[in-house]
Amino acid sequence: MTALVELATVSKTYDGAGGPPALDEVSLDIEGGEFTAIMGPSGSGKSTLLNLIAGIDRPSGGRVQVADEDLGRLSEARLARFRRARLGFVFQFFNLLGNLTVLENVILPAQLQGSRPAAARARAMDLLARLDIAELADHYPAHLSGGQQQRVAIARALINRPVLLLADEPTGALDTHSGGQVMELIRELNREGQTVLLVTHDAKLATRHAGRVVTLIDGRVHDDTRLEAAGRVPETLVKVRIQEEQR
Amino acid sequence: MSLKFGILGLLAEQPLHAYSVKARFQDLLGGSWEVNIGQVYTTLQRLERDGLVEPAEPRGDRGRLPYRLTEVGRKALDAWLAEPESEPQQLREEIYLKLLLAARLADGDLPALLARQRRVYLQRLKDLAVSEETARSQGRDDLALLYQGAILHTEADLKWVDAYAQATKTGRGKR
Repeated sequence: MTALVELATVSKTYDGAGGPPALDEVSLDIEGGEFTAIMGPSGSGKSTLLNLIAGIDRPSGGRVQVADEDLGRLSEARLARFRRARLGFVFQFFNLLGNLTVLENVILPAQLQGSRPAAARARAMDLLARLDIAELADHYPAHLSGGQQQRVAIARALINRPVLLLADEPTGALDTHSGGQVMELIRELNREGQTVLLVTHDAKLATRHAGRVVTLIDGRVHDDTRLEAAGRVPETLVKVRIQEEQR
Repeated sequence: MSLKFGILGLLAEQPLHAYSVKARFQDLLGGSWEVNIGQVYTTLQRLERDGLVEPAEPRGDRGRLPYRLTEVGRKALDAWLAEPESEPQQLREEIYLKLLLAARLADGDLPALLARQRRVYLQRLKDLAVSEETARSQGRDDLALLYQGAILHTEADLKWVDAYAQATKTGRGKR
């Protein structure tokens, strides 16, 4: 039984950069069903790691395997097909197409995949209802709030039933309330079995939602921690010390 | 945290006897406090001696005697509220001592100590975030802000152990 994502001594050096590698012999396994957060300061290699797992970029050394596919061995065309069929993406700035309606945005990846139009449409409407935005199906993204746009992006990411949902700072452009709702949604999907990889610089966000936090520093895995699900009761968590005035 | 001004603040809302002061203090801080009824009694006596509070009723059973704020007490409270808090920063957590000593002792395994400490902070961050959410869902936004403060401190602790790990890796933490 192999892990859903397997990174074996993966390195990435950018041509002409001349500096230290963006990723330096990183090995990491992610099992199906996990909610993993990749955390680290900017420049730590988070985005590089995400791009390698997403097949957007290729490693300079080592092996990246996702859902039993060795991504380094796929041609560009097969890599693009793999991305579309097996992965879902949620970005900080939603990346919706402005000239398509909400429904058309969500259906697009299914169309590119060659799904039957009626089936794609039905699934898209299911997802929109599930995410509480069914009534927005015929609206254009520009008329939606940030939180609503991110829901559309999540629906689009899920349309082809991806084995892995990749979320890159998904709350970065949202206010606290909508950000919380979006994260709650992603967590619910994970509870239903969706494997999630969240990339963030925000330690609170990472620990709050993920069961596992991998921290990168200088292109290496600095720490890999599994968290206990249940939060402790407040009484044992914060202790206010009362000072008695001695006079 | 000052019990004296905590009591004055609660009495500014309404007269209270010692047990109510204790109960309200507990509620105010969401159970995150550490003080016993004896401390409340002695502090109330001291405040009465200094003219900051007075009995609101003729003196009877000690536990049932409600106190109220005097004019002088109100002024002292207002002055305290208006003053920014400038106590020295408390670096008395055990971890500081452990790290300082581990860095000096040849067999002190610093990286392992830092890694273990890091995990404690990550778990604490998760627990605090849950508590903050719970407080908010119960309509206690003031308490949620207390947890938010604790979260920010924990984030700083986390950054600090990482900085420590970085610095000692390059030899800067040694002395």
